[in-house]
Amino acid sequence: MADQVIFLISLVTLAIAAAFSYWSARISMILSLAVLIVASLSYFKMLPTLIFLVAFLNVLSLLALKSSQLKGIDYALVSFMLIATLLIFYTSDPAMLLALFVAASAPTYILIMIGERMNIDIGVKYITFMIFGTVLFILGAALLYYNFEHRSSLIYSLAMLSLITGLAIEVGIAPAHEWVPDVFSTADPVPVSIIASLAKFVPFLVAYKVISATAVSETQQLLFLIAIIAALSMFVGNIGALTTKDPARTLGYSTVANMGYVLATFAAINAGEYVYFAIAGGILQLFVNAFGKIGFFNSIKEGTSSTCSWLLSASFIGIPPLMGFWSKFLIIYSLVFSNYLWLAILLVLNSAISVPYYVRLARITGKGWKPNITNYVVLVASLLMLITLIPPTWIVESVMQLRW
Amino acid sequence: MIEVLAILFLSPIITSLPIALAWGLEKRPPWADKLAYLSVFGLFLSLVAAIYILLNVGELTAESEPVKYVIPWLPAVNINFVFIFDYLSKIMGTLTAFIAFLIGIYGLEYMKHDYRLGWYWFFFNLFTASMLLTVYSDNMLMLLIGWEGLGIASWGLIGHWFRDDDHLSYVGIIDRKVWKLNMFWSPSSGAWRAISTIRIGDIPMFFAVGAFMVLAGTLNISEIDWVALEHKIGFTGIAILMIAFMMGPFTKSAQLPFSEWLMTAMTGPTTVSALLHSATMVAAGTYLFMRLSWYIEPWHAGEGYEVIYAVVLFLGLASAFYGALVAAGCLERKVLLAASTMSSLGLMFASTAASYWVGKIAILVGFWYLVTHAFAKATLFLVAGHLIHETHDRFCCGNLELAKKLKIAFIATIVATLCLSGIPPLTAYWVKSAMDGVMHSLDEHFGIFPLILLVLTSAVYSAFLAKFLALNFLKGREVEVHAHGGRVMSFAYALMVSMLLVLLYFYTTTHEEPFAEFLHEGFMVSSFAVGLLVLVTYLFALRNPSIKALSRIGMFLSDRMYLPFLNDYIVPKIGWIMATIVDCGNRLIDYICHSAFPKFFEIISYSLRMIQDGRIERYLKIVIGFILVVLVASTTVGW
Repeated sequence: MADQVIFLISLVTLAIAAAFSYWSARISMILSLAVLIVASLSYFKMLPTLIFLVAFLNVLSLLALKSSQLKGIDYALVSFMLIATLLIFYTSDPAMLLALFVAASAPTYILIMIGERMNIDIGVKYITFMIFGTVLFILGAALLYYNFEHRSSLIYSLAMLSLITGLAIEVGIAPAHEWVPDVFSTADPVPVSIIASLAKFVPFLVAYKVISATAVSETQQLLFLIAIIAALSMFVGNIGALTTKDPARTLGYSTVANMGYVLATFAAINAGEYVYFAIAGGILQLFVNAFGKIGFFNSIKEGTSSTCSWLLSASFIGIPPLMGFWSKFLIIYSLVFSNYLWLAILLVLNSAISVPYYVRLARITGKGWKPNITNYVVLVASLLMLITLIPPTWIVESVMQLRW
Repeated sequence: MIEVLAILFLSPIITSLPIALAWGLEKRPPWADKLAYLSVFGLFLSLVAAIYILLNVGELTAESEPVKYVIPWLPAVNINFVFIFDYLSKIMGTLTAFIAFLIGIYGLEYMKHDYRLGWYWFFFNLFTASMLLTVYSDNMLMLLIGWEGLGIASWGLIGHWFRDDDHLSYVGIIDRKVWKLNMFWSPSSGAWRAISTIRIGDIPMFFAVGAFMVLAGTLNISEIDWVALEHKIGFTGIAILMIAFMMGPFTKSAQLPFSEWLMTAMTGPTTVSALLHSATMVAAGTYLFMRLSWYIEPWHAGEGYEVIYAVVLFLGLASAFYGALVAAGCLERKVLLAASTMSSLGLMFASTAASYWVGKIAILVGFWYLVTHAFAKATLFLVAGHLIHETHDRFCCGNLELAKKLKIAFIATIVATLCLSGIPPLTAYWVKSAMDGVMHSLDEHFGIFPLILLVLTSAVYSAFLAKFLALNFLKGREVEVHAHGGRVMSFAYALMVSMLLVLLYFYTTTHEEPFAEFLHEGFMVSSFAVGLLVLVTYLFALRNPSIKALSRIGMFLSDRMYLPFLNDYIVPKIGWIMATIVDCGNRLIDYICHSAFPKFFEIISYSLRMIQDGRIERYLKIVIGFILVVLVASTTVGW
């Protein structure tokens, strides 16, 4: 009950903030940040706090966008996405989950177009893909719930794979990744950093929830197909990035690879207690990707110190004790114990393949420190990679406490 | 006990550090060369410790139980510092310390004006300490420390005159070429030949030591159950293992075909040659074989050991004969002596190897031959060094004039050559007689072949010793003598040669084993006949030290029957072939890592990125195609 009240108050405040933005963007920003803080305080736990930090950095980086066409509204949109994301943790109602999926996805359609000039072309490309993705995802989810009541293996496999295909298109998993490099390299780095970070959480969280809520026993062959798609995505992303010179495009391919790593955790979804390690690894990988992309995209815009850029790269590569190491470790751990050793090996191999381009990214972006808001965003994002200096058992514990 | 051991092993090293450090100073203090006395004092302390052990620790008979002293090292894996005091080690240790001390005294005068005294004394004393460690070790790992110390110190000393600027330190006739190869060697090449040859033998030896540890569970020579070891790994296993182990002694003691390094080791200072040829380094190989045989007790062992002992027997005899022939052809003072050492080492190996069929007496014969040879050879080298100093010539030269000027050297050479060649009734005669007896006992296994080889070797041996005497003091070409004093040097070799007479006294008056056996063999007619033959060849060579008609054969022999081609041509060629193969592998890896692999990924990467032409129609086709494929797949799976 209290949750719903807070949700309602937050929405009203955001609406007011958006309205005020016609008058002053600053009021909108303050109100949006207030909502962010209230919302995350009310759910004070480790996972929501980290997601709040992602959104917070997104809002701060929007500040650097001098002449946005939607100045003011953009803050509110990001805050809205955060609230939608946070609510996912507290609901298992199918209708609510799907509504939140759309709610978190829709603001990105607008955000992608803002920048120094309105970028309609790229918006069209992005939205086209998103529509395909959303439709397939919702269709798949609905069919999964239907199948839970009226068992049929054909419906189950159709449902499962259309959900995964929808997810693949939505977040950019190969072979449905074509929009990612184009959008990432053409749009303004700041909105791209939002799409590459905050927007990735909801599709995966909803997919985890739906699939575990509707699981039936005979899913081995389906999981195998998912594992193949995951492996394909890792290779396409990492190998594609190897020869790419433009850093934004490189980050696009890096996203394809990272989404492959997260998708790999679905192969372990039936693995008894190891499923918690799988989900924990997936979520941690999403955080790595989120902070990493925020850091890199912002440093593409303004540069950063080489320490920060190397820290981000090292985390992406998976060097202990950075966050990127622990996320991959948890994923590999769960894969090994759910008889997907080959996928674990491919993951390690892919980490090795990724080394050259992350090193190149670190060199290109670490151009020098400038004391401005964008640089501080990068600094915070790269420092957050260090929170796993203490081995992150908390993430597995938080995942275990949640209802899936 | 531990104090005595500390003095024995550490005092030579510690007392050589001051001169080594003082010599390294930017501004060398004027008293730096006086520190050499301190180094010699260290050798003296070591000698005192060795004598203390000889007289006070355990009994001094061949049958006495060994006394051991253990200092824990790696007790968890049964590896400790185990010092053993038995008949062999006590006598050998005293011999080493005594000879090193005397040569040290000699070196005070001989090396007085050298430009690298710090280097010289440090390695000289390290050489002695390493040998002592090798001698008293029962544990093979600890023995390897001494063994490696010998290797590094010999490298340092042979290449002592590393500038290669003094022709007096070369070996061979300068600028002489045979086919494509230089037949002369500088100190630096001599040092390299020594260390590289020794390493070839050491590496299989290291593996063998590792195998002993795994198979026997201990590395203490006196504790390994050698018979059980043979049962465990069989006939072939023990043969391979022991041959691998013996590669160390074979190379260190310069047996065929690893003898070349010993000849060019003559590029070092003469004191080094004297020490290296008498009681350290080359003696280490034969001594180790004796120590091993002492505890293997091969006369109780099985057939696996027979192969090894037969190999060592004939390798030793062949080396002995080869060395004697080469020495007979040599005109260089030190190289002649070097070849003769090789010959003697061969006899020591052969005699010890005969223990498989003859028993412990064969080891004792080899061992006492080692002792006799050590004093005689050290004397001859010290004399040769003095001669080179006085005449400024590496080649044999000098006549009665020289003998009159260097009376002590002359007399010492006469005594040493007579005592070493085996002329009755002098020192080596008694040991050689026993050796004749040992070889004769092999009659039923190998026929009279070993005995014939031994007698031939002895005859040639005595001839070249007489030739050494004649060409340097009686009938050599006339030379100008540069008088240098030389009192200290004369004192050292006079004392050294007198030890041969002390030994003679022991051999003929002590009625303990093995001397009683020596006497018994010496009084046999056959032994006396061999003694006479040796005397005849000695006198013949004394009369005709160089025969013009045989000069071509002499050249062939002094070129060591062209064995240098193995070291200087064939082995390097093999090395180059290996280097070429490695280079190919290297290039292949480079190509794979730097070209093929990146190219492969580049091609895939470009093809993947070709998809991105920016046109949404194409993207949609791909996505719809993907959806259709998934639909087909899901239908197939779900059906």
